[in-house]
Amino acid sequence: MNSSVNISSTPMLEAVAVTREFGANRALDSVSLAVQPGEIYCLLGANGAGKTTLINLFLGFLEPTSGEVRINGRDVTQDGLATKRDVAYIPEQVMLYGVMSGIENLQYFAALATGEDLSRTALLALLSRAGLDESAADRRVGTYSKGMRQKVGIAIALAKNARALLLDEPTSGLDPKAANEFSQLLSQAREAGVAILTTTHDLFHAKQTGNRIGIMRAGRLVESLTARDLSHQDLEALYLRHMAAQP
Amino acid sequence: MIVRIARRDLLELFRDGRFIGAGAVVLMLLITALAVGWQRQVESRTERVVAQKLDYDDWLAQPERHPHDAAHRGLHVFKPEMPLSMIDPGITPYVGSTHWLQAHRQSEVKFRPAQDATGLQRFGSFSAAWILQVLGPLLVIVLGFNAFTAEREQGTLRQLISLGVPLRRLMAGKALALGTALWTLLIPFGIVALIAVIHGTPPDQRSDAGLRLLLLALGYALYLGIFVGLVLAVSAFARSSRVALTVLLGLWIGIAILAPRAVADASRSWFPSESRRDFNARLDADLGERYQRAWNSYFGDNAGTPFGYKVPLSQWGKALQIHDQAGYETMDRHFAALWNAYARQQIAQEWFGALVPTLAIRAYSMRIAGTDFDQHRAFSVAAEHHRRRMQDLISQDLVTHADHRGEQHFSYRAGSDFWRQIPPFEFHPADANQSLSDASRSAAVLVIALICAWTLALFGTSRLSR
Amino acid sequence: MSTRMQFKRIAAFELRVLIAERTLWLTLGLLVLLIAYALNNGIVQTAQRDVSTVETAKQDQTSRERLADRVRRMMAGEYVPDDPFANPVDPSAVGGGMGAGHAILPSSPLAPLAFGQSDMQPNEYRVTTDSRVKFMQDAEIENPWNLLNGRFDLAFVMTWLLPLLVFALSYNLLSAEREQGTLRLLLSQPLNLRTLLLAKLSVRAVLLLGSAVLLPVLVISLVRLEARAPAALLDLLLWAALVVAYGCFWFALSAWVNTLARSSAFNALVLIGSWVLLVLVMPLLINLLVGLRHPAPSRIELATQTRIVTTENLERLQDRFGTEYMHVNRPDVLIPKDGKLEVPERLRAFFLHDQALDAELDTMLDRFDVQLERQQRLVDRWGFISPAITVHEGMAALAGNGAQRYVEFQRQVKAYHEKWKAWFSPRILEGRAIAPNDVAQLPRWQWHEVSTAATGLRLLQLASIAGLLLTLSLRRLRRFPTI
Repeated sequence: MNSSVNISSTPMLEAVAVTREFGANRALDSVSLAVQPGEIYCLLGANGAGKTTLINLFLGFLEPTSGEVRINGRDVTQDGLATKRDVAYIPEQVMLYGVMSGIENLQYFAALATGEDLSRTALLALLSRAGLDESAADRRVGTYSKGMRQKVGIAIALAKNARALLLDEPTSGLDPKAANEFSQLLSQAREAGVAILTTTHDLFHAKQTGNRIGIMRAGRLVESLTARDLSHQDLEALYLRHMAAQP
Repeated sequence: MIVRIARRDLLELFRDGRFIGAGAVVLMLLITALAVGWQRQVESRTERVVAQKLDYDDWLAQPERHPHDAAHRGLHVFKPEMPLSMIDPGITPYVGSTHWLQAHRQSEVKFRPAQDATGLQRFGSFSAAWILQVLGPLLVIVLGFNAFTAEREQGTLRQLISLGVPLRRLMAGKALALGTALWTLLIPFGIVALIAVIHGTPPDQRSDAGLRLLLLALGYALYLGIFVGLVLAVSAFARSSRVALTVLLGLWIGIAILAPRAVADASRSWFPSESRRDFNARLDADLGERYQRAWNSYFGDNAGTPFGYKVPLSQWGKALQIHDQAGYETMDRHFAALWNAYARQQIAQEWFGALVPTLAIRAYSMRIAGTDFDQHRAFSVAAEHHRRRMQDLISQDLVTHADHRGEQHFSYRAGSDFWRQIPPFEFHPADANQSLSDASRSAAVLVIALICAWTLALFGTSRLSR
Repeated sequence: MSTRMQFKRIAAFELRVLIAERTLWLTLGLLVLLIAYALNNGIVQTAQRDVSTVETAKQDQTSRERLADRVRRMMAGEYVPDDPFANPVDPSAVGGGMGAGHAILPSSPLAPLAFGQSDMQPNEYRVTTDSRVKFMQDAEIENPWNLLNGRFDLAFVMTWLLPLLVFALSYNLLSAEREQGTLRLLLSQPLNLRTLLLAKLSVRAVLLLGSAVLLPVLVISLVRLEARAPAALLDLLLWAALVVAYGCFWFALSAWVNTLARSSAFNALVLIGSWVLLVLVMPLLINLLVGLRHPAPSRIELATQTRIVTTENLERLQDRFGTEYMHVNRPDVLIPKDGKLEVPERLRAFFLHDQALDAELDTMLDRFDVQLERQQRLVDRWGFISPAITVHEGMAALAGNGAQRYVEFQRQVKAYHEKWKAWFSPRILEGRAIAPNDVAQLPRWQWHEVSTAATGLRLLQLASIAGLLLTLSLRRLRRFPTI
């Protein structure tokens, strides 16, 4: 473990018996999890299992019907703006302002995130760390591929340098090389003490990079285990068993 | 097949609430406007008929007085209300309906109703005609803007084409759907309008009014038909529903709101008419010259100024006669020039109706309803003729009873025998056939616009498969 | 990081996005075109009116000088009138037309900004001893079809078309962010949604409304010298404030519709619908209601009354009317002796007749004014239901072409008319000839400018509704769904 790890027992990201209902539909049913600083927590589950809903709760886009969602010990529903300073978010589809260039988008979002205006050099450095070609930085985002847009999203998160990171299906649509580079970035962040919660379909990637793994099904967290304790095959078997079980 | 397509489209319009929502609003507005117009028309007609009769009875009951003074008291005549003015009041707020026929003035109509209203009147008159002309196209747009684009966006267009549905039939089906939706809304209104018109019209004018109503309905059917074609055309050409709606709204605003004013401005600069000041100045100068010439030609070159001291009072009957006659031709010429300038302005705007159908239907509707300027001009001219008749009779009477002693022109008094010689004013507005022939230009323009719109629609539909 | 800094950042970025997109250029371009055309119409028309006014005044001056000259020459025995109805020393002739001048309503400094009622109401009356019924009921000559269509003036552009341009820029204020997906990334930052909305709104409002008022203000202050007077400049500022307040109302409405969190297409439809309701339909309905509540008296009744009064007075003055003109046999009767003149009885009768018309029809004519005033008060009070009414009336009033200024003009004309008659009455009835000094002392028309533009109230009305809508919008944002 790294020396910059937060020794205190307060998790950076915490869901406490969180339930969220949409009318008669219970999207999340008493879900509890905690992500410590310097830890990667991978959330697995099928479409509609509730993964994105949980992310939305952490971001304050939704309010829990019952239970609490906390970032760095603060209740998200009470102190929305403060909690947002502590968390960076990279959506599955990073959507940007198409008429503006990559570096202009980065400048805007980074400024809103940190309150500081970064120099062009600093912005280019961030983009390059995120893996975006420098020649593409000044082109309109409307011409970017999905992967390129995601790299801008990564650059924004890097600029924010927040203590927690939320990722929604980060590797979907990325080619293996890009996915690999992304995993390396995640590891760097983990070593720097960032608490990371990521949702994914990718079992291999989850076992490879994650410290903890959670399996969600129909709004419930049915499994929560340490990645080290399982082999790849065990994980796959366990996952499939849960998916096949009756609701 | 066409009917099937139409039926499906109508069902969708019904289900998504557009038909009921927009239709209900328009229908409500139409009926309110009709009710208001009906009440105003009935009140106004009664008042005019009574006032006209009272005025003439009073004329007949005059005590004895010098006919010239009676001519100054004059006669009031009132323009009759046209039966369809409850639907299209036309220019009525901007022209008066009262003529004061007096000696020695070509009276224009005084008392324009718009002067008795606040500036709000300039926003327009709340009439069924306005609603049909301005909001009618909007209704067509709301109902039909995504006729083709929705099919394309849902993917059903490709399916239909692959099933072998001819594109022309598809367009016909959609046109039928739109048309049926419109008629379903407007026929109830038409029936109510028919009842209101029959009720608000004296029996002898009812058949004429009924014919006018039918012609009016046909005109508006043409007008809305233009927009059905236009809407289908834009929907066929447009890439998406959003683009179609934007383009159609832009066209509507241009055609119904912007262009009428811009074209009116343009026509005013092409065929300018004079201000009151300039008109009066030129008329007075011309008249003065004529009067003097006529005076001299009858009474000789040394006769001095008209009604001066060189011509004895005994001759003043003749003098008045000559004076008046001299003026008639001049006044006719000046007023005709003014009114012809107006007519040219309007005709120019009607021709523009090919691009801006609202101008064409506005003219057509007013002419059929009888509330246009030509009708008003006919009334003004008829009133003026009546005035001249009165004036000529008076002058002749003065000549007949000329005072031969040369000093008692004004002591002559005429009595009821003479008052009776002047007939009551009767004005017969043009009948429906005449109005239709007046409106033939705007009707032709509407037909041209219809053909253009539908050609565009056909062309757009043929390109749908690309 | 402070809200102010964030506001500035968002505003700066929004500006760049707008510039990169086409919408801003199209919208501003269209706005400039419309303003230029409308303003040109107003300037040309006002120039024509001013030329006409100057000519009329000059003609009045010339005819007065000619009259004075004739009177002088007649008293010196050099001139004998051959037209008895144009006898320069006969007070009935002088008052009845020869010495008459025009009561002129000059154009206001800001007249090019709105036509108002100026194409329908007369701007000048020729005031004589005739009854008001005869010379004040005429209207300006204009093609009624054109009156019906209305003029393409700046008031039209601002009232009808400016809201549409506002919509073009702001209908998808928040809905676009949601639809293009940027809203999630934005709101995952420590950013208040209120700040975002206000910043986006402000940039658009400043650009559009700034252009909308800057161009006319510049052009008017350059082209019209009268507009540079302090009072006129203040009015110009008020005009700009009025347009800005009106624009803000529509921007606030756009914002509110956006807080409903529906699609961009939905927003556009709702906004167009509210434009149809507030700008097209509402004014017509309110006009109708106002007319029903305080209907104008029947003009036909006025015609009837006029006839009755005329008849009565013809009878009353029967004998005078029957008196013969003396001048036909005795031309010397036209020449005054010791300042006395035999005014023909018939002409005296005409004078008395018209006096009676004025006196007896006054109450009835006043009723028209009273009802119109009541209508106007209703409109002023309830007009805010449709902001279009408020701004249109406000612009017409500031341009000096509003209904109220014409009412005031007519009031002053009436007072002048009374003065005119009062000056001539003793001379006509007692037979006093016009002396050479008299011409200079004839009552002269003087227009007293009275401020009729209740702009303050209108600004308050517009600003309040805009403020209310904005407050409601900001409050709704608390529950704004991001997803």
